[in-house]
Amino acid sequence: MNPRALFAAGLMLLLPMKGSGQDGVDHSKHSAHQMTVDPAGVVMNQNHDTLPRDCTEISRDYEFTIHAGRKYAADFPGMIYGMSQHEVRVQPCSRITITFVNEDSVRHQWMVHGLPKYLYPAGMFHIEASGGHSKTGTFIVPGDDRSYLVHCDMAQHMEKGMRGQLVVGNGSGDLWGVAGVSDDFYRYSYLPWHTSLLAALVLVFAFLATLWLAKKW
Amino acid sequence: MSRRWLFVLALLIALLSCPPQWYPMPIRLKLTEWFGAAGFRGLPPSVEAMATEPEVFCPPDPEGWRDRQLIEDVDIAASAPCVADNPYTVATFVRGSNNVSQATLLKSGLAADAVEKGRDLDGDGDPDEIHIRLEVAELNGGSAVVPGPVTRYEIAPGIRPGLWVFAPKFVGMAVENFESNRARRSLRLPSPAIRIEQGDTVRITLENTHYMPHTLHLHGADHGFVDVSGEGNDGVPITSEMPVMPGDSRSYELSPRHAGTMFYHCHVQPHVHVMMGLQGLFIVEENRPDNWLQTMNIGAGLVRVPSRSLRESFDREYDLHYLDLDKELSERIQLHNDPRLITRSMHRDYDITDSAPDYFTLNGRSFPYTFRESLLVGEDDERIRLRVVNGGAKGIALHTHGHKFTATHRDGVALPEDTLAPQDVIWLATSQRVDLALELKNDGLHSYGPGIWPFHDHQYNGITSDGIGPGGNISAIVYAQYMDEAGWPQTRGVSFDRYFTEAFYRKEIPVWESYAPGLFSDTGHDLLMLLRVLGLALAGGIMAALGVGALIRRSRGRKLNHNQGQS
Ligand SMILES: [Cu+2]
Ligand SMILES: [Cu+2]
Repeated sequence: MNPRALFAAGLMLLLPMKGSGQDGVDHSKHSAHQMTVDPAGVVMNQNHDTLPRDCTEISRDYEFTIHAGRKYAADFPGMIYGMSQHEVRVQPCSRITITFVNEDSVRHQWMVHGLPKYLYPAGMFHIEASGGHSKTGTFIVPGDDRSYLVHCDMAQHMEKGMRGQLVVGNGSGDLWGVAGVSDDFYRYSYLPWHTSLLAALVLVFAFLATLWLAKKW
Repeated sequence: MSRRWLFVLALLIALLSCPPQWYPMPIRLKLTEWFGAAGFRGLPPSVEAMATEPEVFCPPDPEGWRDRQLIEDVDIAASAPCVADNPYTVATFVRGSNNVSQATLLKSGLAADAVEKGRDLDGDGDPDEIHIRLEVAELNGGSAVVPGPVTRYEIAPGIRPGLWVFAPKFVGMAVENFESNRARRSLRLPSPAIRIEQGDTVRITLENTHYMPHTLHLHGADHGFVDVSGEGNDGVPITSEMPVMPGDSRSYELSPRHAGTMFYHCHVQPHVHVMMGLQGLFIVEENRPDNWLQTMNIGAGLVRVPSRSLRESFDREYDLHYLDLDKELSERIQLHNDPRLITRSMHRDYDITDSAPDYFTLNGRSFPYTFRESLLVGEDDERIRLRVVNGGAKGIALHTHGHKFTATHRDGVALPEDTLAPQDVIWLATSQRVDLALELKNDGLHSYGPGIWPFHDHQYNGITSDGIGPGGNISAIVYAQYMDEAGWPQTRGVSFDRYFTEAFYRKEIPVWESYAPGLFSDTGHDLLMLLRVLGLALAGGIMAALGVGALIRRSRGRKLNHNQGQS
């Protein structure tokens, strides 16, 4: 299987199924995004009042304060970075204000993928806080039940713990690998190699024991 | 009785199947004496080469990043090869991320505090307070959710070794596109070349965004063992200070009195961390008035805004960073996701004393990608300064075709005037730097005239990628008249199609297929030989079964006799 196809299959584990990746827009060009850069960080594609097409009004206002940093991974063995809350549950068509508090001395991000691209360039809403800073941003979710990937897109931060989900309504099933919510898709065995010898021993014992029993009966 | 016939049959099959070339030599000679040579049987035909779809050699440059341009009043030189650095990033490095407009900062992709430039302390018209921030990024790492390496970076078609790099502080995603998961263009190997001015008051803050402890060690650059506040400043865990843990940061200070080409690298488990790519050129430029330096050179290569002192005696300057990689080390970050398992695998299971390098990079790429961005392009009679570091584990015998260069500095120190002589191979030990003067003066000594002249490591492993050549650190000195508009050299040899094909470096394509189709192709199979081998196997199986059966019968018979004897 070619690596691209494999990767595309992998994306299915990360992104909500419908409507994702249909146009493959390259969003390295910042011009498409609405954002400003200041020493405290960045908020990208903020949306206070434009309703998604399938909403008639804002159903509810939410405010969440989410802390990020190494200490929030302390309860998860094998993770380095974490968030105070890896899952956010909201009603469809609600307006969400996230205050992202970075307690480390390096950058962290709270980034949502898979939002409608007609409203959010590249389908993303993004808060980035510099080390020791906090940033606040607001966006409005569409009306269907879906689970959206939330992560920090610093290299390896998602892999090492900063992966979460935004569940709108009843969601569309948990995403893989959300700390405290769902298991890793590729999970190591955490057994030493010589466990296979023990397994072989048990196999031989079972074989002989069955022969012996079969003879007795 | 039937068992005996079966044995005879098997023997017959074996004799008929046995390929004549396997007969014992005396028998073959005897047969030849009697019958002469065996009849002609053509060798298997050549296998038709697989159709390949080579990558685009020279990616387009829609935004004109290669052109000479003026941004924030910074004159950014043209860059001739296909792939050039973002000029807005270059301008921001020159002016300081705190001194440029919001529009330039957005186009640069840098954070507001990436490179801050402060006061002019000596009143000579350029800033002398410099604050640089460095992060640590992992390229081609593992994942517990997505297959294949993440934050992908290719050193050559299809070659994605796991890497760690120091990186300038950008904002936004590490990838350029969530769907493709390729590292953004500026996030790459090698770690950026850093330039400061002699006497500047420099702070370098290491913001450890990685998941392992790291430090910054300023190799060869004048810095105190402790900083002003008495904290360790050498970056060496066993002698000066604790390493910087993930999510933490630490500042290193220096105000170098001596100028020259130096080096920087992580000093935590250096035999692993430095060899993963945590190393870069560190250049201290001589103090000159109004000397606005390009503080970082992403991916090394052409310095698009060279210093005042450089411009006094040279027309261009290139940073050349050589690094070799051991795939048995670099793949370890892809095999696990749990940092405890990775740490064990890299720092205890991996044994560098048993290692050999597999990939050989120049400015973070191997051939043919070096031809996209690491060509040394110049015009007739130009003088070109090369700042070279060998960051790899093995030595490098750097060789130029068509030219003899002169090494003027070694390890940042000028060599005595009366010892300077042109040469065409120079030896660089691990972590050694040399400053070379390359003159495109067609005098039969310094240059043999315009052309496309390769330069490469003359140690032969260095010109391969995992043993496949051409690969490794091959690049070329190209005279401007040999470059086309798009930035591709007008070579007149073989087609590059195969080299821009992943399968070539996966060792699946015969090396000369592109210009000698069929002549040295892969060979087809010999079906008659297959039949003979299967016949031998059949006969062998039958005979073995008969043999084992006979043994069993014999032992049973003995037991029976024994029992009968008892009763
Ligand atoms: Cu993060
Ligand atoms: Cu390190």
